[in-house]
Amino acid sequence: MKKTLFIIAILSFIAGTSCKTEDKDEKEVKRVITLENTPARRPYSPAIEVDNMLFVSGQIAISQATGALIEGGIEDQTRQVLTNLKNIIEKSGYTMEQVVKCTVLLQDISFYAPMNLVYMEYFPKDPPARMAFAVKDLPMGALIEIDAIAVK
Amino acid sequence: MKKIITTKNAPAAIGPYSQAVEINVILFISGQIPVNPETGKLVDGDISVQTEQVLKNIGAILTQAGYTYKDVVKSTCMLASISDFKAMNEVYSRYYNDNQPARAAFAVKDLPLGSLIEIDTIASK
Repeated sequence: MKKTLFIIAILSFIAGTSCKTEDKDEKEVKRVITLENTPARRPYSPAIEVDNMLFVSGQIAISQATGALIEGGIEDQTRQVLTNLKNIIEKSGYTMEQVVKCTVLLQDISFYAPMNLVYMEYFPKDPPARMAFAVKDLPMGALIEIDAIAVK
Repeated sequence: MKKIITTKNAPAAIGPYSQAVEINVILFISGQIPVNPETGKLVDGDISVQTEQVLKNIGAILTQAGYTYKDVVKSTCMLASISDFKAMNEVYSRYYNDNQPARAAFAVKDLPLGSLIEIDTIASK
């Protein structure tokens, strides 16, 4: 009995040690980016960094001041979305020039041209690769959502 | 350092995006729609014809960047109608016949220029 307990103790010690090692490795590789005003109850992070790659969650046109979707058409919402993206990217220690890929989800495909005009202001040179399409619905009734990948 | 990939063998961008961006041996190819690079117009045809054109466009960009279909690790297939899923797969399987990339596929509300399909691609060497 004593011997069995001893073996269990040894095994738990080994298991505990290996778990800690895994945690440590995970922390070194993956960094969760949070912002001062990150809503606590959302099951996603504003961004995750792994190695030199930053994955930014899809942004909708939420005003950081009010926490609500802004009033306005596709141009205003696109500008707010890209401002939010830029904010997260820069707070993560990256720049808009380092963005390599964006996904643009539109509530209506007729927003494609006006979205592009505002989008160009944020990516004036060597723009990222991109996919863009209209979806059935976006959270909170937003007109546009954009996610991004940046690489250092 | 990010590198912009450009080729005349794939359709010119119809918006403010690069055909592809390469960084640290990862290639991000923009979502391709079935535009014929010679005419600059959407090809006339059903989902099989359109899927074929999309995959040819992807192939031209892969080649320009020094990659092949075998280097593709992830595809996202967006369809105008989910009923095109099977026919799309038949063409898709001819281009990705072994070590098939991870993939997401779904129907969307609408695609640019009224395309039936758009495919986005990530490749890595």
